[in-house]
Amino acid sequence: MTTDHILQVRGVSKSFDGIRAVNEASFEVERGSITGLIGPNGAGKTTMFNLVSGFLRPNRGTILFDGQRIDGRAGHVIARAGLVRTFQIPRVLTRLTVLENMMLAAKHQPGETFGAALLMPGRVAKRERQVREQAIRLLELIRLTRLANDYAGTLSGGQRKLLEFGRALMTEPRMVLLDEPMAGVNPALALQLLEHILELRASEGTTFCVIEHDMEAVMAISDRIVVMDEGTVIAVGLPEEIQKNERVIDAYLGRSGEEPEPGSRLQVES
Amino acid sequence: MAIFNLPFWTYVGVIAGIYTIFALGLYVQDALTGLPNFGHVAFMALAAYGMAILIIRLNVPLPIAATGGVLAAVGFGLLLGIPSLRLRADYLAIVTVAGSEMVRYLALNLQDLTGGALGSIGMLGPSNLAQYNTDWDNFLSPITATLTRLLGSGIANRDFTMLLIVWLLTLVLMLLLWVMVRSPWGRVLRSIRENEAAAEAVGKNVFGYKLQVLVLGAILGAIAGLLLAWEIGVFSPDDYQPTVTFYAYLILILGGTTRLWAVPVGAVLFGILYSGTRFLNFFPLSLIDSGDRAYLRLLIVGFLLIVLMAVRPQGLLGNRKELLIQ
Repeated sequence: MTTDHILQVRGVSKSFDGIRAVNEASFEVERGSITGLIGPNGAGKTTMFNLVSGFLRPNRGTILFDGQRIDGRAGHVIARAGLVRTFQIPRVLTRLTVLENMMLAAKHQPGETFGAALLMPGRVAKRERQVREQAIRLLELIRLTRLANDYAGTLSGGQRKLLEFGRALMTEPRMVLLDEPMAGVNPALALQLLEHILELRASEGTTFCVIEHDMEAVMAISDRIVVMDEGTVIAVGLPEEIQKNERVIDAYLGRSGEEPEPGSRLQVES
Repeated sequence: MAIFNLPFWTYVGVIAGIYTIFALGLYVQDALTGLPNFGHVAFMALAAYGMAILIIRLNVPLPIAATGGVLAAVGFGLLLGIPSLRLRADYLAIVTVAGSEMVRYLALNLQDLTGGALGSIGMLGPSNLAQYNTDWDNFLSPITATLTRLLGSGIANRDFTMLLIVWLLTLVLMLLLWVMVRSPWGRVLRSIRENEAAAEAVGKNVFGYKLQVLVLGAILGAIAGLLLAWEIGVFSPDDYQPTVTFYAYLILILGGTTRLWAVPVGAVLFGILYSGTRFLNFFPLSLIDSGDRAYLRLLIVGFLLIVLMAVRPQGLLGNRKELLIQ
């Protein structure tokens, strides 16, 4: 059986001043799947997201999205190709309204080029109406409609997470990288978020790759789990396999007889 | 000089208009996109020098010389921007102020080309007074003549014609910017100001937009530089001190940094504050001699600014709600 991989990470390494944050990591994400990326703090998960989304260049290795090499490409090129990320600490545009945050992310707005914005007001306005409708629909989905005209800077931490999720969806992505989407979101809303992920996968075939520390949630939602530790992928498998995997349990609980040296791990979670 | 002196206030109005255009460049770069530029005055200097050198040394017609001046400013902007736009904002601030001082020192020291400390009149050497303004004055005088016939010589003069031209141009540029700021293009710029990484993450070419903004700011600064050179008729490196950039920042802060229409308000207010303090020549201030009073004026302008910032930190027309967002 051949599986259709939308994302292939092959032997990727990244060092910061000699410290290997990601070391020869390889894994695949199947098209239309929900893949959990887990591992203890400092395992290199967020660095991996930064590498895949073009926010960092790998020192070695290749990354393929939909069969095309994307390693070393600029972040906006990768985003436009349909691979969109969110951030662990949400980066909302504080002095733009919630609705503007959403509308910004839309594709194919000719008004984003100087010439068209000046000379083709009709076409720009027409696309702007479509974008606004799309944004309002998505705001309903993430339950922020009431706050549409407030500055995003007035939102709570959980609301910002939701807004960032919605903004990622505005780009009509084929694949979304979610960095701890549920951290700080209240449990009821987090559950809804999970439902939206499942719904979108079913209706649009969107692929998700999720970093999440809530084990219960990540095991429940993921088709497959990729486990990282100390910069490398130590296990890949179904959730029930991973839960029984000795190496994974070791990684989380600490290796017996081997205390990690203080300062030997790089904090990449930022 | 009497306080109600029409020619004097006409002149103040012209300068306020020129400073509006100058500050609009900073509005686009810093207030809208979040790119600090503490060397904005360099665009002014390069446009003036480019234009004057082309006219005086090469006898180039005025429109081409003016275009050349603007291109010199844009070229310098790109030269400075391409390596430094990827830097964080605070580093960009340092690079820009250093760049503008380099321009001023080059103008001071490349004497054969620029006239050195003498400025534009020294461009053909100290014994041969150079003049770049003939074509511009020839363009103005028929307009001034027509206006004099219509309004009488009490109002119309060369500065009055300049006032009309400058403010008409200001209005056109502001309408243009108003459309652009409200467009999706403007939205992308604001998103870059708020968070570059977020803009990049949703597919916006941040570097490309920054370059556009740099060029647009350079063009606006250059236009202001040309108009100032034409208004005064002579310039020297001393006219392009870093303080000029800070005056433009003052204008933005006075009006309120987030609103386009606050820029001309800030410029007029700045003009009145700066020139109006000239009339503080009554007792007891008249006890101080006029040379020292000039410094006192700057002191008073500074003091009034501090008071304004304490009472209305958002500027005259700014949005306080927006200011309070962290």
